[in-house]
Amino acid sequence: MSALTRGRGLVGLVLVGVVAVAGLVGPLLVSWDPYQQIPDANLLGPSAAHPLGTDDLNRDVLSRLLSGIRVDLLISLTAVPVGALIGCAIGALATFSSALDVAVQRFFDVLLAFPQLILAVGLAAVIGPGTTSVMIVITVVEIPVFGRLLRSAVLRVREAQFVTAAEVIGGGRTHVLRTHVLPNSLEPLVVQLALSMSVAVFIEGAMSVLGIGVSPPDPSLGAVLTTSLRYLDLNPLFALGPLAVTAVLVLGFQLVAQAANAARG
Amino acid sequence: MTGYLVRRLPSALIVLWLASVLIFLLIRAIPGDAAAVLAGADAPPEAVAAIRAELGLDRPVGSQYLHWVGGLLSGDLGRSFLIGGDIAGLVADGLANTATLTLAALLLAALTALVLGPVWAATRNPWVDRLLTGFHTASVALPTFVTGVVLILVFGVFFRLLPTGGVPPAGLLDRVDITAQYLVLPAVCLALPVAGVLTGFLAETLRGELRQDYVTTVRAAGVRDREVVVRHALRGALPVAVTALGLQTGALLGGAVLVESIFSWPGLGMLVEQGITRRDYPVVQALLMLSVTVFVLVQLLTDVAHAALDPRVRLGGRR
Repeated sequence: MSALTRGRGLVGLVLVGVVAVAGLVGPLLVSWDPYQQIPDANLLGPSAAHPLGTDDLNRDVLSRLLSGIRVDLLISLTAVPVGALIGCAIGALATFSSALDVAVQRFFDVLLAFPQLILAVGLAAVIGPGTTSVMIVITVVEIPVFGRLLRSAVLRVREAQFVTAAEVIGGGRTHVLRTHVLPNSLEPLVVQLALSMSVAVFIEGAMSVLGIGVSPPDPSLGAVLTTSLRYLDLNPLFALGPLAVTAVLVLGFQLVAQAANAARG
Repeated sequence: MTGYLVRRLPSALIVLWLASVLIFLLIRAIPGDAAAVLAGADAPPEAVAAIRAELGLDRPVGSQYLHWVGGLLSGDLGRSFLIGGDIAGLVADGLANTATLTLAALLLAALTALVLGPVWAATRNPWVDRLLTGFHTASVALPTFVTGVVLILVFGVFFRLLPTGGVPPAGLLDRVDITAQYLVLPAVCLALPVAGVLTGFLAETLRGELRQDYVTTVRAAGVRDREVVVRHALRGALPVAVTALGLQTGALLGGAVLVESIFSWPGLGMLVEQGITRRDYPVVQALLMLSVTVFVLVQLLTDVAHAALDPRVRLGGRR
């Protein structure tokens, strides 16, 4: 883990950390409520009272942006781990028998045959728009990714000598899998977790842009950005807040993933 | 060649078949009665029944599926609930725009990777290396909607240099120079992530090739650096890069939906968006199937191209 305390890993952690702290503490420091409609404050430019201006429904953009970070973090920190767990469970199951493996591989093949965003769009069409949908979509998108990863890692580790040794001294199949194979198969998952977090932020934003994201009037990075798109000519600065925060967040996750990947050698 | 295609074809077909079942069942799983929704809240039962019969919803599920797939195979994509008309017609309208955008982006991404990949792999200048590392990280990480909005802000709002939305009023084929102006921002936006991934991938594969014994031999024979990379290492790295390109079509297809929405580019992506927001399920169903088919076929084609370029893959099964 020392890869995360220096170089680009550290930069990545700091970037993610700054955004996370802004999302956790920020809403407490802003005097406006993200849902509050302020009289006579339609699409104002930046000022001391509203550093990022106000939106089309007279709400303070900074306060919506900071609360939006919370929503994005909540979505990613719920949906990605759940998807990873389900995917890993299915992937581990596949290594039990070759018949199961064929079935599971076909299942992953089909899910991966959909371009990620197209799968997201298709699922959202079925379950309807909204915050829960965004979470479900991210979870489903991550299942085959983690499933494939864990399956191949398990298959690789199972060939290792220490596993053969554990089997030879009479360890049962489940015992060997749980105490020897699985713990040693988790390493590649760390890299993928960081990547998947940035994919989650991407999918949340993309679904908002396409009008199937977080349910209004709730704020999110994507929701604030999408509103600002309609007023680029009128108030170009409106878009800068969500753009900058989204960029910093995904770059941070990307750098963490790169550092973790490089550390694996 | 043909042998390899024949070996790979069955699994591609199975994936397509399973995907068609999945899409069909997903759309069927939507709660509520489509016919009742279409007929309106206080429509008489006979009207609902008529609509149901017209849509074929009164038949058994299996027969509906066969009817749908049979239609797909004969080029009949079904009828739209709300937008109106034949889906095949709607698709034909948007296809030229989407194909132009996607192919332009693909070309741009491939060219960028072919130039930057070898430079990055071969450079000994730390600043060039840092610059390309930065380009790679940013282009891979930044979502298309972020780069798209930044492009619009820079080239359309702060400096009014380029049109930021729509297609040329007189059509794509009227004047190439005007079309290029409309095309450049969306195409760059769509191409960036793909260009980043491909550049990184090509550079990494090239670095691996440059460590091979044959490269040392060529170098020892006195061949110059540039020639070593372009003539020898690139030839070894290309087959793998072609496969990576195939996988990136997925990013292009998904990205096109977003880019079309941001730049108001009237193609299939906008049709998908309309289909979802207006809950026009036959349209969504047809376009999902279309994009999966394109994605699977392109991957199959790039696998075949990989095999054609690399005899080890082609003969792999016979070893």
